[in-house]
Amino acid sequence: MQQNLRPNKGIRASILMHVAWRNLISKKLRTILTVVGVIIGIGAIYFLLSFGLGLQKLVTDEIIGNKSLKLVEVVSPNSEIISLDQEMVGRVSSLPNVDQVSVEYSYPGLLSLNGGEIDVVTYGVDEAYADFVALNLINGRLLNENDTQQVILNTGALESIGIEKPREAVGQTVALRVPLKSDDPEQKDILADFRIVGVIDSGNGSEAFIPSGVFSAAGVDSYKTLRILADEPENVASLRQGIESIGLETQSPADTLDQVGQIFDFFNVIMISFGSIGMLVAVIGMFNTITVSLLERTREIGLMVALGARRADMRKLFIIETTMISVIGAAIGILIAMLSGFLLNLLMNQLAGQRGVESSFSIFINPPWLIGSMMLFMVVIGLLVAALPSRRAERINPIDALRHE
Amino acid sequence: MSKDETEKAALSLSNTFQSFSVGDETVDILKDISFSIKPHTFNIIYGQSGSGKSTLLNILSGLQKPTKGTVHYEGRDIYKLSSNDLAYFRAHRIGIVYQQNYWVKSLNVIENVSMPLYLQGYTKTQAESEAMKALASINMDSYAKKYPTLLSGGEQQRVAMARAIVNNPSIIIADEPTGNLDSTNGDMIMDLLVRYQTVLNRTVILVTHNMEYLTLADHLLNIKNGVLIDMQGKSITETTEGLIKGIRQRVDHFAVNKKRRKHAAKS
Repeated sequence: MQQNLRPNKGIRASILMHVAWRNLISKKLRTILTVVGVIIGIGAIYFLLSFGLGLQKLVTDEIIGNKSLKLVEVVSPNSEIISLDQEMVGRVSSLPNVDQVSVEYSYPGLLSLNGGEIDVVTYGVDEAYADFVALNLINGRLLNENDTQQVILNTGALESIGIEKPREAVGQTVALRVPLKSDDPEQKDILADFRIVGVIDSGNGSEAFIPSGVFSAAGVDSYKTLRILADEPENVASLRQGIESIGLETQSPADTLDQVGQIFDFFNVIMISFGSIGMLVAVIGMFNTITVSLLERTREIGLMVALGARRADMRKLFIIETTMISVIGAAIGILIAMLSGFLLNLLMNQLAGQRGVESSFSIFINPPWLIGSMMLFMVVIGLLVAALPSRRAERINPIDALRHE
Repeated sequence: MSKDETEKAALSLSNTFQSFSVGDETVDILKDISFSIKPHTFNIIYGQSGSGKSTLLNILSGLQKPTKGTVHYEGRDIYKLSSNDLAYFRAHRIGIVYQQNYWVKSLNVIENVSMPLYLQGYTKTQAESEAMKALASINMDSYAKKYPTLLSGGEQQRVAMARAIVNNPSIIIADEPTGNLDSTNGDMIMDLLVRYQTVLNRTVILVTHNMEYLTLADHLLNIKNGVLIDMQGKSITETTEGLIKGIRQRVDHFAVNKKRRKHAAKS
């Protein structure tokens, strides 16, 4: 017997799951009501968080727009003292964590086509510009290094000048006049014809993008803005410090993002607080179900222990039962919340479409981490709920249990 | 009890006491009980209600640690085993049948019969294959998919017998298994117990009130107020005849009293 009494491996997890499952389905109504409680609890939290995060993303996208989080925009606080010229570009480029540098001129200008004339913000950009800013090309092409008399217009400029379809614009020639208003006699106003090579759907108002060489040829030696791409988003702060130590001013989309993030963190906490009310009801329901189940099955536990079950097996049985309720409830709850979010997204897009908004948007988002963490959260809640009843199941005296009425 | 005797016995108790505290008082349920059960024998424990029979069975089956004394199985004190090893002992060595039928109600007959094997770590398929053989041995295989609580008392007790033998235990402990049955079903259960002892060579320990079955015993143990009188060595036939004679005398006494009361009521 000494040799035979090797450590008891006990009942298989698959059998415990089978017994737990059979018990749950033998009390259908009770189980369904408990699962519905979990569905409502977890579904409400997921739905509200999905909304909060979706709204945050929508607002962030709107604010950050097409800018990269690795981007640092550099301007001079006083262009007469510190000029953003080629020498300064060289100094900034030599700083650590700099991946790429792009220059940008920007001046107000006048654009004419077929007798019409509109005000445009004229940007002089180099070929690296497109790496920094997602220009969202909808027709034609972007500027390349060989371009000298080509222009890209945004949809705002096309609408202002009366061209409805972007493809109709590509190939047409516009006259562009950019007064430089400078005392420098070497500088001449830009006045030339440019052929439209591309249309982008970004920016505010009317914008025109021409090669930066046009400005340098006109004698403009000081850039309006430098755009610097850090090698990693986390190095943006140290890069900004380095640039500011030269005496320049920096801006980063991350500044706005942090502020937006703080506001939405607070908003999401409020959302979770509302959802937690449902969750609390679900937890009480689960606890009640498992406790009643334990009381009803005291004799069954006594029998199983008498037949050779380990006490730990009885604890596991109740943990598995609670986890089943949690996982099933959470999965259905999240699915229903996702479906509701999807339908509301459709509805909102349809309503927005009727009011002339063409681009689609999502106010409910379902990032995989949210789904995973909500499932995990519910499993942890289930384990906490099971803690007390499962400990009681473990401690049941089989003799008293078999006498239990 | 000698060490040799303890090792040869299937189960043995030495100087076992069981007490309970009720308020400030201590109640002795079992008092200094010592006996040994030989392997492959049919043992019957009898005694009046409240004499301590069920407590003794609980101690023998590894469910209740005695207040004092030892219980040896094949020479080893089972109450010195860890909780898990004691569970292993129950799962592998003991088959139990109770007077009242206990089931895992959400499981069907074959799953309930499989339970001792599930607890040993068998897969569902393996366990149910063995359970089906055990059910077939008592002609209950056609009830496999039914739920036990829907069966008659006699059928339930037969299924309980199948559950008691499915794990191939060396000892079958039966606590008044015929107590809730009519004589036909009771006889069927007793027949199965005798078959397990004689054909399958198991050790049977039976607690019963029914004096008619005492003659089946190889070893009779009588409990009175927590004190065990081991009838080992005494003639089973003489003992049982004496007991049955005593019952007849009691019944005759009741009959005389009844006649007297009727007579008194008339006059």
